[in-house]
Amino acid sequence: MKKLLAAALGILTAVGGFVDIGDLVTNAVVGSRFGMSLAWVVVLGVVGIVLFASMAGRVAAVSGRATFEIVRERLGPRAAGANLLASFAINLLTLTAEVGGIALALHLASSVEPRLWIPVAALAVWLVLWRVKFQVMENVAGLMGLLLVGFAIALFQLGPDWGELLRQAVPPSPPGAEHPASYWYYAVALFGAAMTPYEVFFFSSGAVEERWTAKDLGTNRVNVLLGFPLGGLLSLSIAACAAVVLLPAGIEVSSLSQVVLPVAQAGGVLLLAVVILGIVAATFGAALETALSSGYTLAQYLGWSWGKFRRPARAARFHLTMIVALLLAVGILMTSVDPVAVTEMSVVFSAVALPLTYVPILVVANDPEYMGEHVNGRVVNALGTVYLVIVVVAAVAAIPLMIATGAGS
Amino acid sequence: MTDRRGERRLVDARLHLLSRQVLDPDGEPVGAVDDLALAGPDGGEVEAGREAHVDAILVGPVLATRLFGGRVPDSRLPRIAWDDVGHVGTAVELTVPSDRLDAVWVERWVRDRLIARIPGGRHDPEAGA
Amino acid sequence: MRARARRADHRDVTRQTGRRRAAALAVVALALAGCVPSRQEPGQATAAVADALAEATSAGETTRIAVGLLDDGRITGPVADTVLLDQLRVLDDAESALTTLVPPDAASSARRTTGLDAVGDVSDAVVAARAWAAARSGGDLAGDDSVPASADDLLAELTTALDATDAALAEAGGP
Repeated sequence: MKKLLAAALGILTAVGGFVDIGDLVTNAVVGSRFGMSLAWVVVLGVVGIVLFASMAGRVAAVSGRATFEIVRERLGPRAAGANLLASFAINLLTLTAEVGGIALALHLASSVEPRLWIPVAALAVWLVLWRVKFQVMENVAGLMGLLLVGFAIALFQLGPDWGELLRQAVPPSPPGAEHPASYWYYAVALFGAAMTPYEVFFFSSGAVEERWTAKDLGTNRVNVLLGFPLGGLLSLSIAACAAVVLLPAGIEVSSLSQVVLPVAQAGGVLLLAVVILGIVAATFGAALETALSSGYTLAQYLGWSWGKFRRPARAARFHLTMIVALLLAVGILMTSVDPVAVTEMSVVFSAVALPLTYVPILVVANDPEYMGEHVNGRVVNALGTVYLVIVVVAAVAAIPLMIATGAGS
Repeated sequence: MTDRRGERRLVDARLHLLSRQVLDPDGEPVGAVDDLALAGPDGGEVEAGREAHVDAILVGPVLATRLFGGRVPDSRLPRIAWDDVGHVGTAVELTVPSDRLDAVWVERWVRDRLIARIPGGRHDPEAGA
Repeated sequence: MRARARRADHRDVTRQTGRRRAAALAVVALALAGCVPSRQEPGQATAAVADALAEATSAGETTRIAVGLLDDGRITGPVADTVLLDQLRVLDDAESALTTLVPPDAASSARRTTGLDAVGDVSDAVVAARAWAAARSGGDLAGDDSVPASADDLLAELTTALDATDAALAEAGGP
């Protein structure tokens, strides 16, 4: 019974953690401009993150070593150092977006300006990182993030033309008004939002935090196979809500407030409140995860003591890193930069950084010294190679597309 | 090298030692192996073609020189004596608790001067949040 | 005396260097892309006007939905206010895109003027909507003449403004 509960909570965590501010905004923008014609990217991204996270989780469970330790060991200090710089910078960007997202969501719930919420949000994130046990933190944030299922409920209540939605998705038929370059730019952005590197750093380090061993491989598989696809369904619901309500009206999503309008239309104030609470929880959870990831990556690269399971005093530099990262995020946000703009940039750069994280994991998952008998099977390796190509293509195409379309405008 | 069962084992310094995690007996990370200090047969200078042994592991600031080249003077190197190494597996395990090592002074400093001063810094999160 | 144990990368170092060079090039290209010339071809100028009008239409339609929801009580005051405030920012952007435009010929200039008027109409309507929303929540504005009396008046004002943007958009070559 306890095992069942453990698996269930893991799934809920994956769901709640999957839909962060990047997914919320990007899926809504895509739904409002392209309808469901980019749904295939969400599916592609979900399969990718399932593959990626399960490999990283397996590596962590079997070897007891987390991703970035292995990146350092297998790539050597120079390549791993470059990897660290890029990953850390993008992670910081994502953290900034998430903290900004918390502030935006709280602004929706109250009439208090986002700028006033930013320091409060950052302080709250830090307090949880400082004091709260890892599992408690995961489960509460994950469970509450599950409230985002309100988008799926809203979609059903809107009574859309399912045939039309399906027709937009298969085969992918973008609206004529949009330029193909914009279509592919958003495809890359959506892919980056689904496969953000921090999810993998967090997942594998979390496996070490929770002391997974080879016996937990079953839990790993269940978590990943159920959690991320459920998160993918939530992403599709958000896009579909936007496609049903906003696309016909010619509305382009550019703010979080527009994302929730379909929910209000469908279910009124009650459903709206549920979803806003879900957004606060999801962005809060994501902020926790990205802050922890910044600590994990730096500490693992430099060999420092790390982990939430240790007293802060026994992982001093790890905690210092997270404090500094949060302070930097607050600093950036206080310059009145639009968090939605930061979000849109962070997902594109996440796509660029994917190969940096993906290649080492694929390599180590095949290394018998770390994995013993649990090296990748042939099917996983085949899939892994296919995704390697996709990930590299996306990474290479991201910046040129961003320049060519003026970041999607 | 001899492992804990007293059997001799061949270890490739590049593959199995460099960049590996160094752990103390409690499993707490101490640092990464950034470089190795070699010494000649009688602890003296290393000569090409003659037998040499690993004198110490170097951790910390040596990373910069490994990345960009150059040498850090001997007197400034944080070292962990090879004698303190217990086992080499996917990580290098020591026999000496980290608190007794000079090499981890930065961590100790951050702990004592910064983290421990924030309320709750010494609180164990696993002991019931 | 210490001998250095040199470590060669297992991965291809040249590939890493190549990737870093490409990244540096990309950063430079990105930076240069920000230097957009203010003087444009007529086609580009018209496209810019069309973009700004599309933004304004989006903002107007969002306002229409928000007002309808607030009237039905399906949305709370703070959320509606946030929506309207965000749309005012979008309209600000659209307006500044138009005002900073340097039309290369008379036709583009005329379209720009029409566009500015239309965006202005939508902005006025959204400002009125915000005032109405505030009044509805029991602010001191209740009884002020400039505040629309009912949601219907407001929606009528919006529709007129949106018709103007539609016309301007059609002139500028459509969406």
